[in-house]
Parts: sequence; C-alpha cells; structure tokens
Amino acid sequence: MGRQQKLSFAMLFCILISVLAFIKTDEFTVPKNWPAPAYNFKNNPLNAAGIALGRQLFYDPLLSKDNSISCASCHLQYTAFTHVDHALSHGINDSIGTRNAPALMNLAWQSHFMWDGAINHLDVQALAPISHPSEMGETLNNVLEKLRTKQKYRTLFFKAYHDSSITGEQTLKAISQFMLTLVSANAKYDSVQRQQSHFTAQEKRGYQLFKTFCNTCHTEPIFSTYEFANIGLPVSKTLNDSGRLRITQKANDAFKFKIPSLRNVEFSYPYMHDGRFKKLSDVLNHYTTGVQHTETLAPQLEKPIILSSNEKVDLIAFLMTLTDKHYLFNPQFGYPK
Amino acid sequence: MARYLHIVAILFFSLSLTAQNKGGLKLHFVHPTGDGKMLQLDSGFVFNQKDSMVIHSLRYYISDIKLFQNNLEVYSENGYHLIDLSDASSLNIALELIKGIQFDEISFNLGIDSATNTAGALGGALDPSKGMYWSWQSGYINLKLEGKCNVCPQFGHQFQYHLGGYLYPNLAIQNIRLKVNRKLGSELNIAFDLEQWLLQLPFSVQQHIMSPSKNAVQISNAAAKAFKVWDANKN
Repeated sequence: MGRQQKLSFAMLFCILISVLAFIKTDEFTVPKNWPAPAYNFKNNPLNAAGIALGRQLFYDPLLSKDNSISCASCHLQYTAFTHVDHALSHGINDSIGTRNAPALMNLAWQSHFMWDGAINHLDVQALAPISHPSEMGETLNNVLEKLRTKQKYRTLFFKAYHDSSITGEQTLKAISQFMLTLVSANAKYDSVQRQQSHFTAQEKRGYQLFKTFCNTCHTEPIFSTYEFANIGLPVSKTLNDSGRLRITQKANDAFKFKIPSLRNVEFSYPYMHDGRFKKLSDVLNHYTTGVQHTETLAPQLEKPIILSSNEKVDLIAFLMTLTDKHYLFNPQFGYPK
Repeated sequence: MARYLHIVAILFFSLSLTAQNKGGLKLHFVHPTGDGKMLQLDSGFVFNQKDSMVIHSLRYYISDIKLFQNNLEVYSENGYHLIDLSDASSLNIALELIKGIQFDEISFNLGIDSATNTAGALGGALDPSKGMYWSWQSGYINLKLEGKCNVCPQFGHQFQYHLGGYLYPNLAIQNIRLKVNRKLGSELNIAFDLEQWLLQLPFSVQQHIMSPSKNAVQISNAAAKAFKVWDANKN
C-alpha cells in the first residue's frame, strides 16, 4: 500500500469516526424493548444546537405576556415536570387554570397532548399555554418579536438553523427538540427488567397486583396506552369538566381524560386531571370504593376492584420502583447555565 | 475532453429549451361587494341593500391548485397560499406552466387538508405565527372574516368568523372546481363574491364562530360556492 493510499485511508477512518460520534450525540435512543416513537424525527432531526435552544426557551419567562412565567414555572424537573403541590396551575396575574399540569416525560411516544387530547402534535403543544389567558397570555407573534430583539437568541437560532430570522416553526420545533430528550427509562423497575437488580418480596407482590388490575391502561413499559378513559371520578360541580367530549363532540367521550403514565408517580402528585387526590392511597381508595358508574365508564372498572389494605401497601411499593432519579436529577434537563 | 464538452453543450441546450417552454399563469383574486365595487378593508359599504358593513380582516388559504383539460389533469402544484386582503401582493399566485398548455378547468381547495393539520409545526404560509392556527385546539383556520355590521346585536356590532376543522363530521375544507372558458392569456381572475357570501352569514343570530362546528362547515360551503371565474369586462 502506497503512502498516499495509507494517508487517505486514515483520513477516511477519521471522517467515519467523527460522523459516527456526531450521530451518537444527536440521535434519539429508543430504550430496549420499547415501542417505536410516535414522533416523526425526519421532520425535526434532533441536534445539540436545537436541543440547547429549546432548553433556553423552556426556561425563559419571556414566553409570557408580562415576562413572569416560563414553561418550567408549572413543569418543574424535580417533580417529573409537573407543578408540585398545585392541584390547578396558575399563570400570569395570579389566574388559576382548570386542570392539573401534566408531568412531562416520554413525549416522543405520545400523539395527543393535554388531558383532553386537544393538541394533535408535540410541535404545536406549546402554543396552547403560550396563548391561554390563565397561563402565559401571550401571542406567538409577540414571543417572536421579543426573541428577535435578543442577541443571545439570534445567535442560538443561527447555531440551530443557520438562519437567525426566528420563525414560529423554528421556535416550536426547538421546544420540541428539548422536550423529546425528556426520556425517563431508568427507574428501579427498568434495572429489574435488565436483570441488573431485584424487586423486594413486597415489590414483587405489588407487581403482580399491578399486572392484574392496572396494566391494561397503564401498560408497560411506558405505563400508559395514552388512550382516553373515564375512571368514574365524581364530576366537580364548579369545574364541570367533560374532558375529551369538548374536543370530539362525541357523547361517548364524556368525562374521558388522557391516561397518564405512572412513571415517577411518587413525585408527580397531586393526581387526576384536576389534582383532586394528594396521595397515592387516595387514588387506590378511589379505584376500590369511589368509582361512579356512568355510561362512558372504562369497561375495566365495571367490576369492582377489591384490594386489602396490605395489598394497597404492596401496590404502592411497586409504584415507587417507577421513580427514576436519573431523570429527576439529570443536569441536562435542568435550568440552562 | 471534447466528448464532455458535447454533453455540457447538450445539457445547456436542453436547460434553455425548458426555460423557453415555461410560461406563466397569474391567478388574481378579487373580492367584489356589489355594484361593481371591490372590498376595501376598514371602509364601510352597503350590504343587503340597507345594512352597513365594515370588514377589518379577510384571510383564507388556497391550496392544491390543479388544471384540467377534457377532465385530464394537466398541471398540479403542492403550494399553500395565504390570501390576505391587507397584503396586496398575496392576492396573486404565480403558476409556472409549460408554454402553450391548454386547460378548460381549474380546481383548488379553500383551506388546509387533514394531513397537513396533523403534521406539527410548518413554515412559510403555514407558520403558526401567521395567525391562522388555533392554539387551544390544534388545527388551521381555513378562512377568517372579522368586521362590524349593524345587524349584529352585540356591543360594537362586531362579528368574528374563524372557519376551520379537519376532522369528520366538522371537516371544513372545500374543493372548488371552475370551468375556464378563455383564450390563452397570462392572467386568470378569480372572484370570491362577497356580495353573494355575506348574505348567507348568520350576523343576527351567531356573531362568533371560533371552533370547528356544523355551522362552520355550512358557512365554508357557502363560501366555496361564491368563488367564480371573473371576467373584468363582463362583470
């Protein structure tokens, strides 16, 4: 082999390695044995600059009318990106919304967002809180105007898109990029599945109960089907929230809400679309004794669920194994330094 | 080397040939309000012979433009165009046609198809910052009309019709197909006949439509019927 040939081989090798490294940092990794994501990454390929821009936007109160509320105001990392200890979230001017801020994780596997599925794609999800008068009360156009005045953002947009015009599409897709990286798949449950750890006897009993009573709707490994269900909650007279019906205008969608994932459920309290339950034991008590039988009730809840108090404790012990500390404390998801 | 030069020459020749064969067709949208007058935003006109009307905003999407000759498709383009009465340049859509192409019908959609409604954040005319995208519930507004009419009973006599909806049964997109009887020319005027459409709007009973509904579909359908090929000399 001539010297020149050797050199060109070496160069080719270097290029290959750098291309591989590039793919490695940028690609979205689907955890082992998980289904394919719903998000179409072809239309918005992840890259480090786009993710960094999205993270800045997620933590920037500039998105709200009076520059006081950011996405993170109601979606805090340490509580799996929900609003800790708030049944209903509040926005600008101390206004209160009508629903509990959902936890954010594994968004790439979801195709409908909000408790009623009003939003049909992750990219356009942020439009709802930005423009809602009880949340950020702002318009996308004003947000873009504000971003364009900031040198920091002109630079970040240029890095992400080689263009600093700052369009709505670019802004929304960058927020998606950051949110898509919010993957929680490293709880004790996951390490048990990988055979790197073991359940305690109590967790094992809880897992069996989970598989019997919960898994049809809170299906492993994501712990939700992300379908909509009426779980027989008494309807609040003040909120009078008909759920999915409002969106589809179909009678058989009355009082149905999106099934939340149970991952990190230890930290994502309070529970339900209106945050009515503070503790997991309240939730289990609802399923055993509180279910109201109405026409659209989930068929799985027609027959009563009977759990002894010991069994409830076991089930909760299993649910604790869905806590993913690597997710809750991952510095890459936190406030950008 | 000489061989390559040949190829380059042929390539160049064929490129210039295609360029010569391209012709333009300019679609121009007009908005008659009756008595030979065209819509001026923010200036009053008489409607239904006795009522006063002011339109502040009229915007709509035109998409999926196709041309037919003897029922055969001879041209199609995939663009989405936002016609906005506050921006005169948006009233023209330039189509690049093969020169001398004959057609006797034009078809286009008033609004945005369902697939595009579920495709996430899009750019250009479809950028959600254009004000034609609903935020609380995903979906494009196909057609937006805002203004004042003395028939509207509420304070300020205001009305707002934001017409859209991409899911059955409240699917609001409309296909429009019009016969074109013309000698070859480079411009085709299409009228959205407001005199006809405004008569069918429910000003006295429903002044605000802001989400997909049966009424939104009905009004969209009435709008589609008000599109016609416009002969500036005849009309």
